[in-house]
Amino acid sequence: MLMALYGATNDSLCEEFVAAMRGEFEMSMMGELSFFLGLQVKESKDGIFLSQTKCCKKIFKKFEMENYKEESTPMSTSCFMDLDLAGTTVDQTKFRGLIGSLLYLTASRLDIMFALCLCARFQPNPKESHFKAAKRILKYLTGTTTVGLWPFHSPIHLFGYSDSDFAGCKLDRKSRSGTCHLLGSSIISWHSKKQACVALSNADAEYIAAVLKFSRSNNN
Amino acid sequence: MKINKVPLLCDNTSAINLTKNQIQHSRTKHIEIHHHFIKDHVSNGDCEVQFIETGRQLADIFTKPLAKDKFFFIRNELGILDSKYLA
Repeated sequence: MLMALYGATNDSLCEEFVAAMRGEFEMSMMGELSFFLGLQVKESKDGIFLSQTKCCKKIFKKFEMENYKEESTPMSTSCFMDLDLAGTTVDQTKFRGLIGSLLYLTASRLDIMFALCLCARFQPNPKESHFKAAKRILKYLTGTTTVGLWPFHSPIHLFGYSDSDFAGCKLDRKSRSGTCHLLGSSIISWHSKKQACVALSNADAEYIAAVLKFSRSNNN
Repeated sequence: MKINKVPLLCDNTSAINLTKNQIQHSRTKHIEIHHHFIKDHVSNGDCEVQFIETGRQLADIFTKPLAKDKFFFIRNELGILDSKYLA
């Protein structure tokens, strides 16, 4: 079974397309898009709202986190994460499951991207402190299940932002670069990645981040 | 749609100057060559690296844990909104 999504500015174009496709393939119409691969789509006059509320709730249920205290941010500013070799080991399968489930959410929730990627680095040997940090992301999500992306109509200007934290990773002193592209006021691409080489200065780290961003904008 | 020059916003003036300066400096020697390809694109006029103050740097959310106020500011600027407040 295959699924096809299509859209047009004109209704008659849509009908024409459906008629042409029906001639070639056996297909049924599902109507207006509202749910696709875990993404809930809500259309309005001003734009499209994409959220993953249902997916969020499923994860809370799976990890029995429905009645936890809410947190306002996914990660504490004083959070320090290292290998924590002295800490108690937690169930690796459970930790991996949690990270895996949360990764699904990054399709629309880029606000948890940074905290999640940091936790994901400790998957081979998860400790209690890492699990706590991952649970904090869940706690943040419990208060913000209805949050989602809202790309709305705005004048089209492409802007790229790039940033890096110099020697942010305490384990190997590598920097992390984060970049995003905004078309008008809607975010269209983003990434958060540890740089492959060790930067010797802040300018160096920022420079590498800018290059990564530019290579992305070229690919897109 | 034609976009002439893509503005890339960066909050570090030294990094911006590195993209403009075609001359190798002893302190930039260790930066791997493939990272310098942005210089070509800046000189070709494909992109322009501009300065943005740290307070308005939206990519901050992808690099460090932020305090509540700044986190909410960037989240809103990136168009991540609560459906409760939408009409």
